[in-house]
Amino acid sequence: MGEMSTEGANASAGIDLSQFYQVFFEEAGENLDRMEQQLLAIDVAAADDEELNAIFRCAHSIKGGAATFGFADVAELTHQMETLLDKLRRHELEPTPAMVDVLLASGDALRSQLGRHQGAGGEVIDTTDLLVNIRAFVAGGSAVAAAAPSPAPAASTAAAPAMAVEADVPVALNGDRILELVLGPLDRPELAVSIVELFKEIEGLGSIEAIDGGMPQDGLRRFKLTTSSSDADLLDLFGFHVAREQVALRPFAGERVAPGYGFHAGAPGSPITEEDKGYGFFDEAPGAPGSPPDASAVATANAAAAALTAKPAAAKADAKAPAATLEAASIRVSVEKVDQLINLMGELVITQAMLAQNSASLDPVLYQSLVSGLTALDRNTRDLQEAVMSIRMIPMQTVFSRFPRMLRDLASKLGKKVELVTVGEATELDKSLVEKITDPLTHLVRNSCDHGIELPAERLAKGKSEVGTITLAASHQGGSIVIEVKDDGKGLSREKLIKKARERGLSAPDTMSDAEVWGLIFEPGFSTAEVVTDVSGRGVGMDVVKKNITALGGTVEIDSAEGYGMRVAVRLPLTLAIMDGMSVGVGEEVYILPLSSVVESFQIGEDSVKTIGGNGRVVEVRDEYMPVLELERLFSVPRFDLGRSSGIMVVIEAEGGRVALMVDELLGQQQVVVKNLEANYRKVQDISGATIMGDGRVALILDVGSLVRRSRH
Amino acid sequence: MHSILAVDDSASMRQMVSFTLKSAGYKVTEAVDGKDAFDKASMGAFDLVLTDQNMPNLDGIGLTKKLREHPQFKATPILILTTESSDQMKQAGRAAGATGWMVKPFDPAKLLEVIKKVIR
Repeated sequence: MGEMSTEGANASAGIDLSQFYQVFFEEAGENLDRMEQQLLAIDVAAADDEELNAIFRCAHSIKGGAATFGFADVAELTHQMETLLDKLRRHELEPTPAMVDVLLASGDALRSQLGRHQGAGGEVIDTTDLLVNIRAFVAGGSAVAAAAPSPAPAASTAAAPAMAVEADVPVALNGDRILELVLGPLDRPELAVSIVELFKEIEGLGSIEAIDGGMPQDGLRRFKLTTSSSDADLLDLFGFHVAREQVALRPFAGERVAPGYGFHAGAPGSPITEEDKGYGFFDEAPGAPGSPPDASAVATANAAAAALTAKPAAAKADAKAPAATLEAASIRVSVEKVDQLINLMGELVITQAMLAQNSASLDPVLYQSLVSGLTALDRNTRDLQEAVMSIRMIPMQTVFSRFPRMLRDLASKLGKKVELVTVGEATELDKSLVEKITDPLTHLVRNSCDHGIELPAERLAKGKSEVGTITLAASHQGGSIVIEVKDDGKGLSREKLIKKARERGLSAPDTMSDAEVWGLIFEPGFSTAEVVTDVSGRGVGMDVVKKNITALGGTVEIDSAEGYGMRVAVRLPLTLAIMDGMSVGVGEEVYILPLSSVVESFQIGEDSVKTIGGNGRVVEVRDEYMPVLELERLFSVPRFDLGRSSGIMVVIEAEGGRVALMVDELLGQQQVVVKNLEANYRKVQDISGATIMGDGRVALILDVGSLVRRSRH
Repeated sequence: MHSILAVDDSASMRQMVSFTLKSAGYKVTEAVDGKDAFDKASMGAFDLVLTDQNMPNLDGIGLTKKLREHPQFKATPILILTTESSDQMKQAGRAAGATGWMVKPFDPAKLLEVIKKVIR
């Protein structure tokens, strides 16, 4: 132990707790999320102990922080939740769906309360109903849970009046506080009787009853008080008969409450009065103040310390430790800083590409060190870029986690039974995309539940399981992330969709491929209400979903089998800032195609392109005709050499369709830093953005979705 | 300088305790749960262990028991910080070999006041 005293210890009082608020808010938010997830996952009929414990810990943790940092409303509600959860985890109560509901609703209320404390505004949250409901659940189990009067601490020696009192106490129905009075050690036991008589003599003071059966334990007498008087008044009163240090008041231990402060009982013979407590020491416990310094123990400890340090391996074995350490080692930085870093990274990528291009013609023998330096620069730039981009990557879990709750509410409203399965939550996606993809995904999941999954009876009649399944799956495929929303509901009906399309005057030949038929639901205003389901009044707006996803550079594909379900796959680039592109030359111009949309490229003979219907041109590829778009014509590229184009076709795929682009040459593949054209110039049809090439020229990035649509008309 | 091992699974509480102790001139090592604390404890010498009770992996009482089995921590003060102050709780703490307990919430000044009683 230390040989010097802690002089600095008093410099503490002025610590400003508000500096920890932000961390608390974030942590409370995480705990609420976790609690909600676990509440949703819980099987009421067979809740396992570890689940209940975990939920309890979330409420407990929020309560501890809220109480410490002074958010009384949050602390109050979490305290009640904790009380209920505590009974559940101790099996004093059995969980019911109604309890889960009230706990979920409480979680929502806590979010609002925390939001208000964070300055988000909003009305004061009235939690009265929630508190009443929770208390009712708690009381419902009170027959089982009635707390037995707590046994007195079994002191190791008879002369050890261990502790202790806290205040903040249970409250009786009439508002009186319920306290435990501890007297002693008394040299004359009859003094206790005098105190009881004195208490009873004073009218309106409240009630007193012995809870130790009249027998002192550890030399202490214990009583239960129900009173409206303050501690100070009571202590003054008892002071008539016994010394102040022989009296201790604490919340009645039969009930568990949020304690505030307490007393520390001194060692027998030299009672020390502690004015302001909330802690205590166990007598004869190692290190307790007042216990004789244990010289041998100290010596042993020092020796052991040396021994322990010599065996550091003991600490390294555990696999969980790194994760724990990781949490403590993370820092929070603002998104702006990260964005700036990414911007600079983009500039660096361009500079590097420029250097690479300019040095390509250098003789590697003459400029050996320069060339190897540039190669290293290339590698390092790539690594750096990956590292920088990874900062912004967050797991899909953050999006997926909102769905269990939403589905639960929606399913119960619709009278359906739905189970949500999530796959690939750890798949990472750029933060800005995560934010933007949330709404479209919500829409899709809601659609699946509302219009895909059948009512339980209907499902049973079809020989399906009563419970429908909606699967959310995320995975990386090449440079993209694919997010699937699958359900095992009724699926889309080809006939009905085609019929509906014709009614609306859309061209819908019977020869349409399935993918094209499914694509009809993305047509603006194409209400599938009466078509696909018998549920009316939906107003889904799948076209909006599609528009939003397309705006992110993504695509949507639908797969369906009538009667068996449907699958919507959303494919998104991992990031909006950088993409893998294929550069193609047309005349003097360079255009960039997203590599992910390029299917193949080939050279054609002069006769392979056929003109049909006056304007349309098609090319025959493996016995299949594919629409052709000549970029030269499309963008009116001036041509100076007048020579015929070399007839290279690049097949691109988007939105379930393919089109062959006729270009002059393939220039290569490279990563390009995407610059927003609209922000810098204006929206141009068929162009999704621009980039700066290695030679400093600007190249336009083609909007493949738009090109494919163009070829359809 | 006295060295304190501060254990709490709640980041805000941990920061608060840690900041308080550091501003009072103590050296602080943080641990995020009982297991982490035990690992860290075996790598250094501490004058005091301040631990939350309710934590995943290993709770405060479990940590106390494990530490007390170790000769190095036979005499080290261990305080359990808990929102639960029932006698059962205290008894369990005592049986595990804890030096004492302190009820949450507490304010920083109170924490230092209590610490001064056990670190001398």
